Amino acid sequence: MSTLIQPRDERTQPTPVIEGYPQTPMRYPGEPLVKRPPTLSELTGPAEVAKRVKLLGGDIAGHGDKQAIGQLIHLKVRVLDEDGAPMGGTVVEIWQANAAGRYIHPNDDDHAPADVNFYGAARVVTDETGSFTLRTVKPGAYPVPTRDGWWRPPHIHFSLFGKVWLSRLVTQMYFPGEPLNAQDRILNSVPDTAARERLVARYIRPGADPYNALVFEHRIVLRGRAATPGQP
Amino acid sequence: MKRAALTPTAEATVGPFFPPRYVDAGANDLTQFEGRKAKGEVIEIGGRVLQSDGQPLENLVVEIWQADAQGVYRHPADPRHAQADPDFFGWGRAATDKDGRYGFRTIKPGAPWGRQPHINFMFMFSGLMRILKTTMFFDRSPDPVLDLALSRKDLLIGKKEGPGLYTFDVRLRGENETPFFDD
Repeated sequence: MSTLIQPRDERTQPTPVIEGYPQTPMRYPGEPLVKRPPTLSELTGPAEVAKRVKLLGGDIAGHGDKQAIGQLIHLKVRVLDEDGAPMGGTVVEIWQANAAGRYIHPNDDDHAPADVNFYGAARVVTDETGSFTLRTVKPGAYPVPTRDGWWRPPHIHFSLFGKVWLSRLVTQMYFPGEPLNAQDRILNSVPDTAARERLVARYIRPGADPYNALVFEHRIVLRGRAATPGQP
Repeated sequence: MKRAALTPTAEATVGPFFPPRYVDAGANDLTQFEGRKAKGEVIEIGGRVLQSDGQPLENLVVEIWQADAQGVYRHPADPRHAQADPDFFGWGRAATDKDGRYGFRTIKPGAPWGRQPHINFMFMFSGLMRILKTTMFFDRSPDPVLDLALSRKDLLIGKKEGPGLYTFDVRLRGENETPFFDD
C-alpha cells in the first residue's frame, strides 16, 4: 500500500514564529525550507512502531483510593487520513497537565501542586476503526513563564506516527467554551478559523457512559491518502 | 488528482514537558530488534542541536528513519520490502542532554532505489510549532534530495570522525543553519 502526499494549505497550519512566544524566532529556521518532492524514503516510515515502544494504556485517571483529583473525562478520538479512511494500528502518545495545571516533569517548576495519583502520560494504539479512548481528568490551565499574562488554556498533547514518515504529527487539543482559548498564542497561531475550530474537542451531552465521566469527542486527520491502483 | 476531503490537523509544539518516559531505554539503538542483531556495519552518529544564539538545546526529541544495510525499507510501500532485514527496525528516538548532544547506534544504510545512502531526521521541541525534517548523507555524491540544498549541501553531510563514527551537528537557526525540508 502506498501513500500520496500533497502540499498542505499553509493557512491551516501554525505560523511558526509567534509574537510573544520568544523561543519561536530562536528555533525555527530563518532560511526558507527546501521544497522536496517526496521520495520512497519519506513515503515509508515506522508503521509498526507499536512493536518498538512500550504501550502504556489509555486509562490514566487512576481508580479507587488512587484516583486522580479533578473532573473525570472520557475522550473518544478517531484518527483518519485525508480521505476519511480510518487509520488503524497508529501509535498515539498523549500527555497533559494535572487538574491544577502542573506537569510531572523536571522542567515544570510552577507552584501548582502535583497529584501523586496522576502522571499524565498515555501511549495507545488505534483500533481498526482508527479510534482510541482516554480516561483521564480534565487538565488545568497554567501561566506561561513569559509572565505577561499569557495562560495556556486546558489542552492535551498528542504525538501520532501514522503509516509514513510524512504523516508524523504533533498537535494539541483544546476544550470547548474555555475563555482562555480566545487569547492563546499557540491555538491562535493557526490563521484559518475552521482549522482552529477543528482543534477543539466536541462536548457530548451526558448519557450512559461506562466511566460515568463527562464525554468529549475529537478527530485527528493525518497527512496522506491511500493511493488507488493506476494513480501516479 | 482528486482533491482530498479532509484537511490535515494543525501541528503544534510538543511544549516543554514531553514525557521523558517516551524516550524508551534503547530507543536510540537500531542495531538490534527483538533481541536479534541487524545485518551490516554498525555506526554511531552523534551531534549537538543549537538554537540561533548558539545555545545548546536540552531535552529536544530527535527521531530517525532509514533503510537497512541493503537499502530496503521495512515498509509495504517499498517494492523490495519482502527482502528487508527482519532484525532491523529502521526507526529510533533520542533526546538531547544538557550540552544539546544526541546519539544513535545504527547500521550504515545501503542505497535505496535512485538515492544515495542517507538517514532522515526529525526534531521536536518547545517553541518549534512544526516538526523540522532534514536528511543526513555520508558524502556529496549526487542525490535528488541532497542536490536540492544547492550551495548548502555540505551542511547535510555527516562528518566522519573515525571508523564507523559520524558527527552531524544541527543548527536550527543562524550561522551555518542546517537546511530543513518542506514536503
